[in-house]
Amino acid sequence: MPRDEAVAEVRRRLTASPTRVFAAFAEASLVSRWLTPSRDVELDVVEFDFRVGGTYRFAYRVPGRDRMVVNGVYRTIEPPSTIVFSWDIEPPDEHAGVRSEVTVTLTPNGTGTDLLICHARLTAPGARDRHAAGWSGALDHLAAMVSARDGNTSMTGGQ
Amino acid sequence: MIHTLARGESRSAGDLGRRFHSAQPTISKHLKVLEEAGLLVRTVEGRVHRFALRRKPLRDAEQWLARHQAFWSGAVAQLDQLLSEADDAS
Repeated sequence: MPRDEAVAEVRRRLTASPTRVFAAFAEASLVSRWLTPSRDVELDVVEFDFRVGGTYRFAYRVPGRDRMVVNGVYRTIEPPSTIVFSWDIEPPDEHAGVRSEVTVTLTPNGTGTDLLICHARLTAPGARDRHAAGWSGALDHLAAMVSARDGNTSMTGGQ
Repeated sequence: MIHTLARGESRSAGDLGRRFHSAQPTISKHLKVLEEAGLLVRTVEGRVHRFALRRKPLRDAEQWLARHQAFWSGAVAQLDQLLSEADDAS
C-alpha cells in the first residue's frame, strides 16, 4: 500500500540491547508501562496477541478527555530487529478511520540499540475508502500532471 | 492547481484548463480525482462547473502528524526510562 506524505519519525539511541528493547514491544506487561505519550496517560492493554497476524487493542485513559482506543494487526515480527503493525484509532476519535502503519527498526550499536519508529499514514487502496487517507493519491496525480508540464512556468512564475 | 485554488476563490474547469494549458478532458479527470479524494468541492451553475479547495483534509493530515509525532516522542522517552530503571535494578 503506498504511503502518504505524512510520516511521524522518532529515533533514539538506547543503552539496552536490541533483545531487551524488542521485549519491551513483545510483552504486554512491559508495553503497558511505556507505550503512552506521557506519564499522565495510562494504557490498558485490552488485547495482545504478539505474532504475525495477531491483533492488539490498547485503551488510553487521557485525563479530562475521552478514552482513546487503538487497535491493529502485527504484520511483521523479526526478532530482534523489526516489528510492523497497523494502527487504527477507533471512533469517536477525530482521527478514527485514518489507516496507518508503524514500523519499528532496532539496529545494534555497540552494546546498545538505535531505535527508529516510523509511523506512516497509508493511502487507501480502494476508490471508495478515500476520505482522509486518500488525499495523497490525488496529490500524486497532481504531481504527475505538474511534472508532465515541466518547462512550463505557469505553476510558479507565470501567474 | 492546489496553489491556485488555495487563494480562496472558486474557479471554473475552463479557467483551470487555460491556466495549466491542459485539454479539458485532462483537467476534468484531474479535478474528478481531487474531488473524489475530498479535496475539492464542486458547484454547478448551468453548464459551468466551479471548484473550490476544501482545507479540512490537509489540516487533518497535519494534525494527525503532529499528534503522532508527539505520541511517539513521549513513548520512546518513557521506554528509555523504563529500560534504564531495569538496568539500575539488575
